[in-house]
Formats: sequence, C-alpha cells, structure tokens
Amino acid sequence: MQILLYILKRIIQTIPLLIIVSLISFFIIRLSPVDPLAELRLNPSVSKETLQKETERLGLDKPIIVQYGKWAKSFIKGDLGVTSNGERVSTKLKERIPNTLLLTVVVIFLSWIVGIPLGILAAVNWKTPFDRILTVLTSIGMAIPSFFFAVLLLIFAVKTGWFPVGGLTSSNFLEMSFPQKFWDITHHLILPVTVLFTISLAGLQRQMRANLLDVLDGDYVKFARAKGLSETKVIFKHALRNAVNPLITLLGFEFAGLLSGAALTEYVFQYPGLGRLILEAVLKSDINLVMASLMMGAIMLIAGNLIADILLIITDPRIRGGQA
Amino acid sequence: MYVIIVLVLVLAFCRACIRADVPEEQKPILRYKIEDESTSYQTEKNVTINGVDYLESQLPNGKFGGTFVTSTIGEGPKTFNPFNAKDNISSAMSEIMYDGLVTTDPETGETIPKLAKSFTVNGCEYLINLRKGLKWSDGKPITADDVVFTWQNIIFDGYGNTSTRDSVVIEGKLPTVEKIDDYTVKFVTPKPFAPFLRMLSSPIAPKHIFQTAVNRGKEYFDGFLSTNTEPKEFVTSGAFRLKEYVPAQRVVFEKNPNYYVINKNGEKLPYLDKLVYLIVGDINNQVLKFEGGELDEISLQGSNVARFKEMEKHSDFRVYNIGPDTGTMYIAMNMNNRTDENGKFYVNPVKQRWFQDKNFRQAVDYALDRKNMVFNIANGLAEPLFTPETLNSIFLNKNLPAYGKDIKKSEELLKKSGFRRDKAGHLVDKYGNHVEFDLYTNAGNTEREAIGVMVKQDLEDLGMKVNFKPIEFNSLVNKLMATLDWDMVIMGFTGSPLEPNGGKNVWLSDGTLHIFNQRLEKDLSSKRYPFENRIDYLYNQGALATKFEDRKKFYDEYQEIVYDEKPLIYIYSPIRIVALRNKFKNIYPTSLGGVTHNLEEIYIEDK
Repeated sequence: MQILLYILKRIIQTIPLLIIVSLISFFIIRLSPVDPLAELRLNPSVSKETLQKETERLGLDKPIIVQYGKWAKSFIKGDLGVTSNGERVSTKLKERIPNTLLLTVVVIFLSWIVGIPLGILAAVNWKTPFDRILTVLTSIGMAIPSFFFAVLLLIFAVKTGWFPVGGLTSSNFLEMSFPQKFWDITHHLILPVTVLFTISLAGLQRQMRANLLDVLDGDYVKFARAKGLSETKVIFKHALRNAVNPLITLLGFEFAGLLSGAALTEYVFQYPGLGRLILEAVLKSDINLVMASLMMGAIMLIAGNLIADILLIITDPRIRGGQA
Repeated sequence: MYVIIVLVLVLAFCRACIRADVPEEQKPILRYKIEDESTSYQTEKNVTINGVDYLESQLPNGKFGGTFVTSTIGEGPKTFNPFNAKDNISSAMSEIMYDGLVTTDPETGETIPKLAKSFTVNGCEYLINLRKGLKWSDGKPITADDVVFTWQNIIFDGYGNTSTRDSVVIEGKLPTVEKIDDYTVKFVTPKPFAPFLRMLSSPIAPKHIFQTAVNRGKEYFDGFLSTNTEPKEFVTSGAFRLKEYVPAQRVVFEKNPNYYVINKNGEKLPYLDKLVYLIVGDINNQVLKFEGGELDEISLQGSNVARFKEMEKHSDFRVYNIGPDTGTMYIAMNMNNRTDENGKFYVNPVKQRWFQDKNFRQAVDYALDRKNMVFNIANGLAEPLFTPETLNSIFLNKNLPAYGKDIKKSEELLKKSGFRRDKAGHLVDKYGNHVEFDLYTNAGNTEREAIGVMVKQDLEDLGMKVNFKPIEFNSLVNKLMATLDWDMVIMGFTGSPLEPNGGKNVWLSDGTLHIFNQRLEKDLSSKRYPFENRIDYLYNQGALATKFEDRKKFYDEYQEIVYDEKPLIYIYSPIRIVALRNKFKNIYPTSLGGVTHNLEEIYIEDK
C-alpha cells in the first residue's frame, strides 16, 4: 500500500517536470533559425502556392505559443501528430522502436551477464595480475570513443568482407527461412553490439568492482569471516547484497537509455533505429517528431528512476524504513 | 573472454591491413571520357504483335534473372504516390513504377512516346494515340479513361503536390483534356505552350485504384499510397512494381510481368527480377557499401574518383564519365534598390552603387580564376560555366565564348566606373568609399566554403576587401528570402537540361527565387531593371513558341543577357562519375539519362 502511494506521488511529481521539459524544448526548437521549409524555398521548381500551402499545413504562420498549445492539446490526447512529410509520428516511431530495443536489450543483457561476474572476480582477486589486466582492458574500453570504434569496425568489415556493412537485414531477407533470418540478423548485429558492449561492459565491470571492494572492507564482512563462514557465503550472501545497491540505480539509467543510448553507433552503422530517425528530424526541425522523441526520452528517464527506486525499496530494508 | 575478443580483433585488423589499398594522394586526372562512344544507344521501336502495341528493344538479347542493387542517400522515400512526391527520391521511386505518356530520348533529349504509341502536336492541340492491349500489373487494361482521369481528376483538380498543375496554368487558365475514343486522348492548351509536351511525361494513374481515394477528398489523398501501404496494393504500369519497403533500410521492386517492352525474341522485359534501393545515411557509408560489394552502382565525388579509377584495374567494376551534371555553382550580388517598411534600404546605398554597376559585376567576373577552382576544388571533375543553362542542356547557347582570369580587363572596367586604388592599395569608389563587403555561403558545404576562400583571394587582387562569412543554411535562406540584408553570396541551383522554363522562378522578375533582386510581396510591382524586363519578355515568349528552333532563339538571347549583365556569375558545373559492376550488360551511358536509363534492357551476364 505504502509503495503504491509512493509511486502515485512520484507520478504526480513528474507532471510539472514534463510540462517544463516540453516548454523548453518546444521553444528552443522553434526559436532556432532552422526553417523546415528552407530546402523547398531554394528549389526553383517549387511554386509560391506550394510554399504557402506547406506553411499553413505545418502551422508556421501562427505564433509560437499557439503552436505549442496545439501540440500540447493533441499530446495529452495521446496524438503525437504528423511529421513534416505528413506521416503519423506514432507509426514512424513504431517502425523504429523494435529495432532499437533489439540492439539495446541484447547489449544490456550481455554486458550485465558478463560485467557483473567480471567485477566480482576482479574484486575478489584484488591486486592480482588477473585484476590488473582487467583494469587495463576496461580502461581501454572506457577510453575508446564509440563512434571511432564503430568506424574502425566498419572499415574492418569492408576490408575482410566477413561482416555486412551496416543495416539490419540483407536485401533478400523476405525469401529466407527462419533459421536463415535469425542468422542474418545476428550477423548484422555483431558489429554494433560489439561497440556498445565494449563500452558498457567496461563501465559496469569497474562499478561492480569498486562497490564490492568498498563493501568487503566493512566491519560486518570482517565479522562474517571471523565467524568462520565460507568465502562464497561471505561474498554472495553478505557483501554482494550491499554492493549491488548503486548498480540498481545504474539499471534505472540503463532503462532510460534503452531507446536513446545507442544513437551515435546506430548512425555510423546505418542501423534502422530511432537514433537515425531523430537526428534527421532535428536537422530538419521536424517539430512533432523531435518533440515526441524528447518527451519519450524524458518519460523513459523518469520511469527508469522510478523503477530503480522501487527496486531499491524492495532490496534495501533501510530505505523501506525511511519511507514509512 | 574479453581478452580473447580483443586478441581476435587485433588479429583481424592485421588481416585487414594485408589487403592493399590505393594511396589517397593520387593526382587527379583531369577528365575521363565515356569509353565505347562509337556504339550509341538505339531507342526502342514500336511493334504490333497480335493487336498489342509493344515497344521493341533494339539492343542485343540478354539473359533473364538477377538483381540490381543501387542506393539512395537520406531517409528514403516519403510516399509511393507519384502525385504526392515532393522530393527527388520519392519521385524517382514513382517513376520506376508508373510510366508517363511520353519520355525523353536519353541521347538527343527529344520527347518520344512511352505509354502513348504516338502523338501529334498542332498548335494548341495535342492528340495522343495510346497503345492497344496494354495492361496494368493487375491485368486490367490501360485506356484513355486512365489518362483523362489522371489529368482531369488528379492533376487539374489540384490533388497532391500541385507543382505540375501550377506549371501548366497559362494566363490563369488550365488546359483541357478530352477522351476521343478508348485509345485516343486530346489535350488543348489555352495558348500555344511549349513546355506542356514534356509535362505529359507525368505518371498515369490506374483509375480503378485511385478513383476511391479521389472521391474521399484531398486530405485523404495526401495520405493515399503512403510508405505504410501494403506492397500488394500497388498497381503499376512501369517496368517494376513494389515488393517490399523496409524503413531506413531498403526498397525492393520486382519485375512487372505485364510490362510492354519486349526484346527481339518477343520475350517480355525487364530482364532483371529485382531492383533494390538501399537507403544509406551518408556518402561515406555508400562508398563503404560499394567497396564491400553490397552495391552495384554508385555516384562518385571528389577524391573518391581518382581512388576508384585506380582500383578499377583490379576490380570488377568500371568507372563511367557521364559528362556535365545539372548542378550549377554561382555568385550573386544583391542588386536590390528598395527599402523596407521603415524606409531603411535593404542594401547600404554605398554598396548599391557598386552592385548595380554592370562594370563592377563584370570586373568581379573577370577576376575569378575558374580553371583553378575546377582543378583544386572539384578535383578537375567540373567544367567552367558562363551561362545559366547547364552544359548538357539542349538549349545551351554555344556561341558564348569561355574566358579565363583577366585582371587587366577587370581593372579597366573598374577605372571606367571611377574606382581607383588608394595609397595602401585598397580599392576606392569615386566618392572615396573603401570597397568592402560580406560574402556569404552556407556553412558545412565544404565545396562552397572552398570556393568562397578562392573568390576572396581573387577579389583581393583587385584591392577589394571581402569578409567571407559561411553561415548556417537556414539563416542564409532567411537572409536571401526574407530580410534581404546580404551583399554577395555563393549558392548553387539544379537546373533542367531539357526545359529552361523550369527556371522561371529564378529568372522572372517576380519569381519566388529571383535571388539577385528578390521582390517581397509588397514590392512585386516595383521598378525593374531594363534587362529584367527583357528576360521577362524572353521567358514568356520562349514558353509560348512551340517549335524548338523558335524557342532556342529566345533562350539564346536570355543567356546572352545573363552572360553580359552578370546578375549571377556562374562558376562551374560538376561532372557526374558513376561506377558500375562489369557483370551488367546493355549499358549505354548518356549525358542526359545517366547509366541506368534503360533499366528494363539491362541484364546480368554469367561469368
């Protein structure tokens, strides 16, 4: 009951936040000198009448505050409006969201599956050569800029011909059998996943290692060891439960990044995800599409934090006490 | 595990490096000619077999099957409805699927029949004979009803993108279209209007599919046959029909079994089973995809040309020089002499005296080193340009000689107008003002930025002080179109090699893109320069005359005026270079049509 109340309170708190975010974004986009019709204006074959029609269709002839009101009204009704090409924003997003989710979920899954155990191992074997080598490698992983790494891998794909150059499916995808389709997608995913995985793994491993080291120094761990508990029990039963709290917060952020975290890599690999769509929308000042993506980002971030907080309440009795 | 991954990667990189690449610093070779120029393209001919009017390919017979993969840069098509297309990619896609009544001969630029079997023009009357026995991809016959419906109910009634309609309005009146019998249609224009014949290349829509959409109104029509439509619902007349559209990845077309072009054995073309357009985000990715073997065709630019030419020797593709492109690069000076609502001049009156002085404009023109720009900026892959009609235009006035940089002539011209140098070498006008102005272009366009730097240097030879300011594209458009507070600008247009009337928005004095003397709504009736009046006259007459020779006279004179008055100083026109895999046969590149203008005749040869 208390948790439900808490969730409700948090959701109500987000409403003014979303209004402020939307206001700021809308005005920044509209006040920037980007003219969605600039391209059309400089096209000799576009007539005056067409330009006039386009201006009216996009509502550019009205004051900004009226434009915002119109957008906000339809947004509350759940209507995201149309893009500057007249397609529905919701269908545009629906096309891309599954692709982006596929990429980010695979990456998050892999990096947590590998990163957490590696962090634990490194902490347990603190200051051994194993730990040192891992430190060096993860430092490299964190230091490589993702777009640069992506470009390198792309060149690698071209030169060897082992991997497809970007994209998600081959052109004869429609005629493939199911196992072939599965392999085709996997084949296309390997390079982008490698890039994102390397970077996210490095961070996660460092985080886990640091947390665990912190906790292993605690009095209760020393006590547990003094009590004669086995090392496995000490680490997994006592130390790990405490070390994992900051990671839950991190998980909240990972959730927020599910839809937007891979934009740069997506762009380099020409991955048909949200990143490319939104970058192009920003460049063209396609207001409804940009606003939809910004609001989605804000909501995901808030939701991610909320989920993390709830998880923390469940895992950590101390916080639970504070709430009561 | 991580160690292993890194090790594998390092090893793989070493493996990748073994393959030799061509050094980048290859000297650009000035020009590559289209090879095999001796064998010119033979246009398809009409034949009638069992009462069906086919087009017969005159090229060697080929093998059926295979896929042709090409690409488009950007977001891909926005609609598959040919009447809603506003961008190049959407138009290109609909051109593949829907044929028009006429088309352009890829070699001579003449208008030749396509869906029409023949046509006769008699002043204002256009009599079109359709082919008998043609079918849409769903098997329904193509008849005069489809043509009348397309022109009357879609185009003239203003559905979708109205630019075709807007461009056939002659003195406020639309042409009429009328069905004579099932296979004959008559168009009548209110006055003789030459560009109309070429407008007939607009796609023809299947009435039985579009009728319902038209009945449901314009708003519904705007979303009709959008990219979300099931591919099965497309009924086409072109060589291919839509098979699959994957957003941000590709568009796949499959062969239309009812297409009306046959080879000499009487077999229905196209030879290819599938045509794939990959949607790529930028040029770099496109080049990588071609090198990786995923693309069969690519347009090349800049340093890539020399690199590909080098790689050509030991690769499975060939580099074709298609000749001058339709793009133009020019410098414009703001010749505006009007004031805004507050009585303030758009252009500083001191500068107005310079920009409105023909001698000054010519002096700027003679100071430019076009050859140097072509060589250093365009890697030699461009041709100096002196007129608004591009070099591949059938209306190009070939009597206007090219010339090089001539500083002496510039200085003479400036002297005539009373300009002189002060002690420090700065150019001063006759009232003692230092000649100093801003030169704009859009930031991020590296080609225009490079031209800006060279123009600045060239003009400084005359003692002018040029402040070169690349600014963001949208701010620039705002300056050019709305606030009009600019001095000099470097921009580019894409022209049409076939129809000068397409440039009327630029050249008519009340045009929406009359860039060197842009008139806002309130200034539309303001005074014109004499040469503006003359160009207005020539443009209107050029459209009203119907014979090519008559039209050419008007357009020749307009080019002479621009050549002399220099409202826009043209710099160069790029050359198109295309790389294509060797396995494709029946390739006849032409300057107007490019490499794949005869897509239905192209086939793949087995190794």
